[in-house]
Amino acid sequence: MKDIPQKAAGRLRIGIDVGGTFTDFVMADAETGRVALFKEPSTPDDPSRAPIEGLKKLLAREEMGPADVAGLMHGTTIGLNAIIQRRGAKIGLIVTKGYRDVLEIARCRMSSSFDLHAEKEVPLVPRARVIEINARFDRDGNLTQRPDAAELDRVAAELAGLDLDAAALMLINGYGDPEAEGRIADELTARLKTLPISSAAMIWPEIREYERTLVACLNAYIQPMMSDYFDRLGKGLAQIGVTAPLLVTASNGGSLSAASAVARPVETILSGPASGVMAAVRQAAQSGMESIITFDMGGTSSDMAVATEGTAGIATRTDIGGLPLVLPVVDVNAIGAGGGSIVWADAQGVLKVGPHSAGAHPGPVSYGQGGAEPAVTDCFIACGFIDPDNFGGGTMPLDADAARAALEDVAARIGMQGKDCAARLAQGALAVASAGMAGSLFRTMAERGLDPRDFVLLPFGGAGPTHANLLAEEIGITRILVPQAAGAYCAMGAAGADLRRDFVRSLRYEVTPETAAMAEATFTALQADGDAWLDAELPDLAERRAERSADMRYAGQAFELRVTLDEGADATAYAEAFHREHERIYGFRDTTAPVEIGTIRLAMIGAGLPLAPSTATGDGAPVRATRDIFHKGEWHAARIYDRAALGQGAILPGPSVVEQPETTTVILPGWAATVDAQGNLIIERTKA
Amino acid sequence: MNSHSTTAKALDPVLLEILGNKFASVTEEMCLTLQRTGRTLYVKETADFVCALAGLDGRFFAYPRSIGVSGFVGLECMPTIEAAIANFGALEPGDVILTNDPYLSKGLSTHLPDLHMIEPYFHEGKIVAYGWCFVHSSDVGGRVASSISPTNTEIYQEGLRIPPLKLMKRGKMTLEVKLFLDLNSRTPEANMGDVRAMLASLTTGRRRIEQMLGQHGPDQMTAAQDELMAYAAGKAEAVLRQIPEGRYSFSDYLDDDATSRIPVRLSVAVEIKNGKVHLDFTGTDPQVAAAMNIPSCGRPHAWLTLRMLALVQTLDRSAPLNAGLLRPLTITAPKGSLVNPEEPAATGVRHAAAIRVNDILNGAFGLALPDVLPAAASGTVIPIVMSEPKPSGGRMVQVIEPLIGGTGGRKGHDGIDGRDSGISNLANNPVESVEAELGVEVLHYGLRPDSSGAGQWRGGCGMELSFRVLTDGSHILARGMERMLFRPWGQAGGFPGSPGSLVVNEGCPRERRLGKIDVLEVEAGDIVTFRTPGAGGWGDPMKRDPFAVLRDVQAGFVTVDFARRIYGVALVDGALDEEATQALRAGAMANDGTDFGPERNNWDGIFATGQMDRLNAALIAMPLSRRQGRRREIFETVLADLPSSFPRTPASGPHLEAAIKRLETCLSTIEIEPESRLNPNGETS
Repeated sequence: MKDIPQKAAGRLRIGIDVGGTFTDFVMADAETGRVALFKEPSTPDDPSRAPIEGLKKLLAREEMGPADVAGLMHGTTIGLNAIIQRRGAKIGLIVTKGYRDVLEIARCRMSSSFDLHAEKEVPLVPRARVIEINARFDRDGNLTQRPDAAELDRVAAELAGLDLDAAALMLINGYGDPEAEGRIADELTARLKTLPISSAAMIWPEIREYERTLVACLNAYIQPMMSDYFDRLGKGLAQIGVTAPLLVTASNGGSLSAASAVARPVETILSGPASGVMAAVRQAAQSGMESIITFDMGGTSSDMAVATEGTAGIATRTDIGGLPLVLPVVDVNAIGAGGGSIVWADAQGVLKVGPHSAGAHPGPVSYGQGGAEPAVTDCFIACGFIDPDNFGGGTMPLDADAARAALEDVAARIGMQGKDCAARLAQGALAVASAGMAGSLFRTMAERGLDPRDFVLLPFGGAGPTHANLLAEEIGITRILVPQAAGAYCAMGAAGADLRRDFVRSLRYEVTPETAAMAEATFTALQADGDAWLDAELPDLAERRAERSADMRYAGQAFELRVTLDEGADATAYAEAFHREHERIYGFRDTTAPVEIGTIRLAMIGAGLPLAPSTATGDGAPVRATRDIFHKGEWHAARIYDRAALGQGAILPGPSVVEQPETTTVILPGWAATVDAQGNLIIERTKA
Repeated sequence: MNSHSTTAKALDPVLLEILGNKFASVTEEMCLTLQRTGRTLYVKETADFVCALAGLDGRFFAYPRSIGVSGFVGLECMPTIEAAIANFGALEPGDVILTNDPYLSKGLSTHLPDLHMIEPYFHEGKIVAYGWCFVHSSDVGGRVASSISPTNTEIYQEGLRIPPLKLMKRGKMTLEVKLFLDLNSRTPEANMGDVRAMLASLTTGRRRIEQMLGQHGPDQMTAAQDELMAYAAGKAEAVLRQIPEGRYSFSDYLDDDATSRIPVRLSVAVEIKNGKVHLDFTGTDPQVAAAMNIPSCGRPHAWLTLRMLALVQTLDRSAPLNAGLLRPLTITAPKGSLVNPEEPAATGVRHAAAIRVNDILNGAFGLALPDVLPAAASGTVIPIVMSEPKPSGGRMVQVIEPLIGGTGGRKGHDGIDGRDSGISNLANNPVESVEAELGVEVLHYGLRPDSSGAGQWRGGCGMELSFRVLTDGSHILARGMERMLFRPWGQAGGFPGSPGSLVVNEGCPRERRLGKIDVLEVEAGDIVTFRTPGAGGWGDPMKRDPFAVLRDVQAGFVTVDFARRIYGVALVDGALDEEATQALRAGAMANDGTDFGPERNNWDGIFATGQMDRLNAALIAMPLSRRQGRRREIFETVLADLPSSFPRTPASGPHLEAAIKRLETCLSTIEIEPESRLNPNGETS
């Protein structure tokens, strides 16, 4: 399929995030600054239906027409789910002779050293569908074994016999000359007509054969379904008359055109969590906060990410369903329990939370869908944090009595009895969950040499704002920012996403004036690729820029540091940038050792017009009701507020609860919230 | 043993879980601090370090789960602390103890490159806990670079021995100590970098413990240490009670001791009774004049108990990781044996023996719990190192790959191909990185089809690494080559895996088949091929699901011929012939029990279990100075007119009988020698 980028005259930017249960919409109106949220149940049998249906309803509700839509930003977990559940395409793999087991061996490590029953991950391509080809490069990128026509015919014939949907190609040292590997992929495709072949070196020319093979395999694995999905979505949009360009959010926090996403779907796998973090970073920046920890608490687990100086951390190694991904992605870490995590007691009578989850089905006991074991959400109810009658804006009443009964059963198993048994058990379970999350968070910060207490906590996701204050108390964080759209934050992030694509080349030079010039030439070539890409995606951009970095080390060192570099740097500047980074992390520099430059990286970014800042929607702080909440062994009378009714400057002393259809925010005793100009709740400690 | 009850109840069960999580998280933070600030390959890439928190008894009540060396939960800090206090006086805030000596630390350190540090954490003038960490440092002097060589015969050849001393006094580094350290290492700067990273990790631990004290108070903190250990002990006992009571014996061999061709025997009897377990290593060979001794000091040492820990963690994944898991365990490790050597035995490559200790514990527990434990894993970890001349002079030394094998089959599950986390869970090196840095072209890095032991659930495949050397005058080093003779055994009727091998220029006129190597000299164009053993299978191969056999054939792990002969599965044009399969299987003999393979059977034909137990009992009773010589004499006598290929090839009838007779003569002689009754037999804790 092909995008026709159009300069749309509309006023709306709409972010859409397709999740497992709900498809979220965020609509930002450039004329009024209004941000509207909408939820539509997802349609797993044909995921493209919910975005179309929801979009129709949202536009109708807001009294807007298809022509008002200026841009659609779309995120989806279809690819991620297919990988985790191993439901992707039937793919084959072609590798250099001698490397048939590249996926079987992986990096040799097991997930656990203690578990005698640990299994290894299921490879994306079974060994029977891995074909060896007589082709390889040497370490300098010279094609030392060139497959002749007969060899290509043989491999093509074997591929044809496997009845594949797609295939991946990885040649040893192919990163040294991606175009040469690409030509071999083309020659095979030419013999097979319809079989798409992902060349590992063309997609991601970075040294390390296993990781690069995986990038190509993941790409091939989800490509057919993503292509089909965007096809349907494009047709659906045309049917309802929406002609605005469709962008797809990417794992690196940016976005790309639907055509790019179909060519390289592997870049979109982790887009959902990445979008949420990017929205958080932008939101916090509007309120003048640059160091934040995001806290996304969903149904099955919680995630965190760190931003310093207004920039989200980027990781170049993440785990996807047990497989490592080396593409640059917004660094999001799982830190523990979600709303569906099970609360239970072990044989020794010790209270546990997770790792099992009730998920969305059957869900917590209070959902009344057959869940028998209490979950974290049931604890929120037993402590009075969530109003069971007003859950989801009243669309989904919960069974509080069943939740309490199930919690009392667990209480009996740990020897807890007497008054308020369910609430006390619930409070204990939430404390266990908080301690677990805090531990993971401390570890993540320790890895980066950061102290979490210097950061603002920014919660989102359905349960994030409900649990955030408990977590902040546990960590020692003194400030929390709860954005208005906290319940639909991935869609929010999509609505504001920039275009962004990462480019990479692996070199291995000792830094000298000559090699620095060569590295600079490679950067220039990558930047030209980046500019060409942006031109093809969306020509009308407010701003474009390139960020440069390189993996560098002292010669002979076994590990590299990622160093940020300026355009036009010479050998001295390269070396100095590395020495400085080494000094920052290890406390010394070694000016006598030669410095080597390895993989070089360039991120090409095209910024759209920024979203208008959000605003508070109400006036003052009208108290709707009061309700008792349980905290530190006692019941406290809490004021209940409607989020939409709050005005700028309103002050909400704890204990308070702020309700909105997508989420509930809890403000504990000893804390107070104020509503800022953007309508955010800023929760701060009032006493130590 | 401790008098704690088996379940934790005194502390609120909610607070116990919370504090358990927090303490474990502190240890992981310490590790991350160490890894982030450490300098050397060992820290950055292979993660050969770990940090933990010890209670007032010097045992670890909190240990990291997801980072660092996993096996040291059972180490004890108290002997080191006491030794330091005895020499240097009471501990004060800011003091940090350093040691690396296996004998003076009573097994806290197990070879000299491991630097161990302990810092007391104070609250209002009283010690509330100890922070601990260790790093495998690059070099502490000694005979060879990196300080480790299998052929070292005494610890004095292995580098600088650091007795427990105060590296830091009230927060200041002791200059005398630093100068000694610097002068006795080939890589003083890298070492000091790691030392500073260790100190940083101890500081992280101290700060986090102080923070926790603010939240929970000293009484809860110290109560939690005991309760967490008791909780883990309760978990371990609950698991042990699932195991049928009884005494289970198992023995296995290392191919040789690196200085002679005599195999090294390890033997254990596991006694399970009333939720307790006793490990009796009597029957294990005397310590060897090589570097593979395990300095346990007769304690339930980490290296001797790892498999028991893994068993508990496997059967109860919610068990906290701390020394309490070892409370229900006692041990007998005869003094002067391979598993409790006397000073000055060398210990540099003790992990080679530790792999085999894992195997015998696995075998013994497997007799008790046949459905839970797997057959033998491949049992070898070989860092293949290349040393090549640099154009600019000097030599470049680097690991090509750390080569391992697979894990054994177990009831219901095939073993894992090409991975084994049993003793260390190291990552491999990307071939492209290797080729970028060394003069080699890797021709094949993959699994070894047909190497796995057949079984109803087959063992994991071993691996093959084949490379062409590109530079004249290169050297290949490969310590830890094992199971080239004695195979990874099969269990419950499963077959053993194929042994490992090393060939240079295979299939060429210049072909050389080699055994263990010390240094192999090669020239440009030579092709070197290492093969690691396959792991043992579990259950009778004739009972394997024919479709699983078909899948293995399709994947290329098993040939059609092998499928027919070993699995009784008939395949015609890639499809299963069910009728012919039934016929093949109907006529087959049933397999059961442990299958050690022909080499071990040949060996046992002379050196039977009972004889070996008698021999080792007599040897261990002799004075240390006479043991080695006497042992060698006896084996030379018994093996005298057997072919040099024995036990790879069997002994013929008359030779066999003569050898058995000679062994009996030797045994009756040595058993009546007066000096064989002088020494007490081992010690118990």
